[in-house]
Amino acid sequence: MLRFIGRRLWEGALTLAALVTLTFFVMRLAPGGPFSRNRKISPEVQANIEAAFHLDEPVWMQFGRWVWGLLHLDLGPSTRFRDYSVNDLIASGLPYSLTIGFWAIVVATLVGIALGIVGALRRNGVTDYAAGIVGVIGIAIPIFVIGPLAQVLFGLRLGWLPIGGSTEGWRSLVLPVVVLALPNIAYISRLTRTSMIEVMRENYVRTARAKGIGPRLTLTRHTLTGALLPVIAYLGPATAAIITGSILIETIFAVPGIGRHFVDAALNRDYPLVMGITILYGGLVILANIATDVVRGWIDPRVRGHD
Amino acid sequence: MKRLILTSIAALALTAALAAAPALADDTLDRGIGSEWSSLDPQVNFDAAAGWIMMDTYEGLVNFGPGGEIVPGAAESWDASEDGRIYTFHLRDGLKWSNGDPLVAQDFVTSVLRTLDPATVSEKGYYFYSVIQIKGASELANGETTDASVLGVTAPDDRTVVVEMLTPAPHILNIMGAFQIPPLHGPSYAANGAAGFTDPAKAIVNGAYVFKEIVPQSHVLLEKNPNYWDAANVTIPFVKYHVTEDVSTEYKRFQAGEIDITYDVPVNLLEELKASVPDQLMIGPSTETTFYSFNLLVPPFDQKEVREALTLAVDREVLQEKIVKGGAIPSYSYAGGFDPAYAGPKFPGAELSQEERNARAKELLAAAGFGPDNPLKLSIVTTVAEDRTRLAQGVALMWKQTLGVEATVEPMERKAWLDAFYAGGWSVFGDNIVGDFAGAETFLAYMRPSAEPGYNWVKPEYDAQMDVAASKPDKASRDVELAKAEEILLGDFIFAPLAIEVTRNLVSPGVKGWVHSPAGYYNSQYLTLE
Repeated sequence: MLRFIGRRLWEGALTLAALVTLTFFVMRLAPGGPFSRNRKISPEVQANIEAAFHLDEPVWMQFGRWVWGLLHLDLGPSTRFRDYSVNDLIASGLPYSLTIGFWAIVVATLVGIALGIVGALRRNGVTDYAAGIVGVIGIAIPIFVIGPLAQVLFGLRLGWLPIGGSTEGWRSLVLPVVVLALPNIAYISRLTRTSMIEVMRENYVRTARAKGIGPRLTLTRHTLTGALLPVIAYLGPATAAIITGSILIETIFAVPGIGRHFVDAALNRDYPLVMGITILYGGLVILANIATDVVRGWIDPRVRGHD
Repeated sequence: MKRLILTSIAALALTAALAAAPALADDTLDRGIGSEWSSLDPQVNFDAAAGWIMMDTYEGLVNFGPGGEIVPGAAESWDASEDGRIYTFHLRDGLKWSNGDPLVAQDFVTSVLRTLDPATVSEKGYYFYSVIQIKGASELANGETTDASVLGVTAPDDRTVVVEMLTPAPHILNIMGAFQIPPLHGPSYAANGAAGFTDPAKAIVNGAYVFKEIVPQSHVLLEKNPNYWDAANVTIPFVKYHVTEDVSTEYKRFQAGEIDITYDVPVNLLEELKASVPDQLMIGPSTETTFYSFNLLVPPFDQKEVREALTLAVDREVLQEKIVKGGAIPSYSYAGGFDPAYAGPKFPGAELSQEERNARAKELLAAAGFGPDNPLKLSIVTTVAEDRTRLAQGVALMWKQTLGVEATVEPMERKAWLDAFYAGGWSVFGDNIVGDFAGAETFLAYMRPSAEPGYNWVKPEYDAQMDVAASKPDKASRDVELAKAEEILLGDFIFAPLAIEVTRNLVSPGVKGWVHSPAGYYNSQYLTLE
């Protein structure tokens, strides 16, 4: 098992290295720089500013400088937000992003699995259809439509929850978490339902029932463990979906997380900030995938076997 | 990275911590500021949104009252020398910093020196060597000297600031506010460096409000400063600036009462809001003007007739009212419309009706050799912003309908658009500039061929006329000379003036004292909350 984890980590590190190298150089191909403006700044002052951020150096040297910083856990200064380093910005935004992401995954998993089980057990019943409709809506309607709709309904019409910001405690988190979880609830519930239906037809489940084990115990002990494998496998990609979703969610709900910085930093050519967030997100997705593989390997030895 | 791990652990704790946060208080004025402030360092920050926070927390030599009018600030009075080059500001007696320290004239000198110092890496020195030319400013900014004594800003005693310029500039008062010349508290800067500006416990200010809480990406909370000289007239105890990146979320937060004053208004709701809440919707001219520049190096735009025809064939009223619909004000001049005292010219042909202008445009273009068999082809470079793209499409449509011009629109992301201008491959450039104050000179100075070679406009007469204007110390006679310069500029049709952009805000009925300000100064100290 340890060897398996070690190998995955090594592969992950290589992927990450390729990702950041590519991002670094591709970003420099985009026209414009962090200090392009249409104001009359004296050329000497402009040159001084660019030199202060080492933008006057050749790109390969800037990359070397950045990697050197990374090895010292220093992601460099932000060119857009002059008061903060990239480390500062990530440190201040990450707690918000992680809080929302964490609860979105928890909500999506719990609600998704519950809906899936109900759907599978009462196939073609009212609950199944209801869950199916929620599923289709969750997958088909994008976050940037559901988000504003939820704001109007729960914030404006009903007045139960704040529309945006982070100043009202847990109440500020409810809408972003639910909207972020929704597409994943849909996906996980459909996945659980299909996989449950399949597993319920398996021989070992029939054997369990034939041995006289009650329906509840068969469900939890035998059916679910088998049925949840694809759901667990999905949690890796789900993390990626949550991260990309959070970029929109944080803008729509004015959450001070780091997802919001991502697009803004790219548009403003804030190279260090884009790099910092890329390596963070890349690392998170890779780690989530490794964790998923490990959990699957632990439940199902076959995953380890063919590796 | 260790910090990141700790942060991750903190995330879970945050959920619990957030639950304990207090609800919004009624004695707080909640204001939207759009994107996050780029910096709270008073000598570095260069964006308008952070400018509001700066104007509330610092006070310059002058201040900007309701509507942006110049009123005495830290200086209770000032006088100008006969030749208009030297301004002497007299500080109020007993001025204090927020920590109780006495505020002295040297604090303003220190601020200018720090702004110009190349080590500060600030773009703001521009105000002192370009907008007005303070003696020694450009040498200090360009690193030619480090000798502080060459600077034309001096403090002969604790209550006097003297500003000596190379040429007279009656608009100097417009840039003597907190945005450009906030004083610097020397001891705290020496102790904390720039990090002190973002730490509410260390940021020492002299404005109507002090920093109480700074949360990046979220908000800045300000509290009334008891040591401010005019604290008795500051009625709102707390001001909270919220980052409101998404304009439709901001609007919903306004509707829900979470925000009292918005940064902007969703353009697609403008008509509806004009009808439903006319008393809450505040629209007025800003100091931003939009015009379409022609590339004088690319034929046939080197022919004045072609440029004139394209300028005439745009129906500016229809363009703004029916196509762009963002509230912008149709404009037939370049530097006029910002300062009521400036009587500038309009471009030749502006006095005609649109039908007459169209007829004349057709004649001009035909004379230049373009017609149905040989249509003029061009492309308009613009930014991807929705209203800008819509404007370009509208103009292209009018050129097509009136002149048979085959125009395409080439939208670009803002940074690429900025670079495209200097790269020079364009034929028509969707241009806009923001003036440094609500006056004609800031716009006209920008167009000097000597100052902006990017337009490839060779016109010694214009530079000469601008020099004549710059030699006049009093504003009225200076405006007369500036108007002559604008006539030279508009007569060459190097660009087609289109519109003066507006600022759009929603102001809740509970907020009193909001007066539209073209320069965008809305200090919270002049507002009241009911």
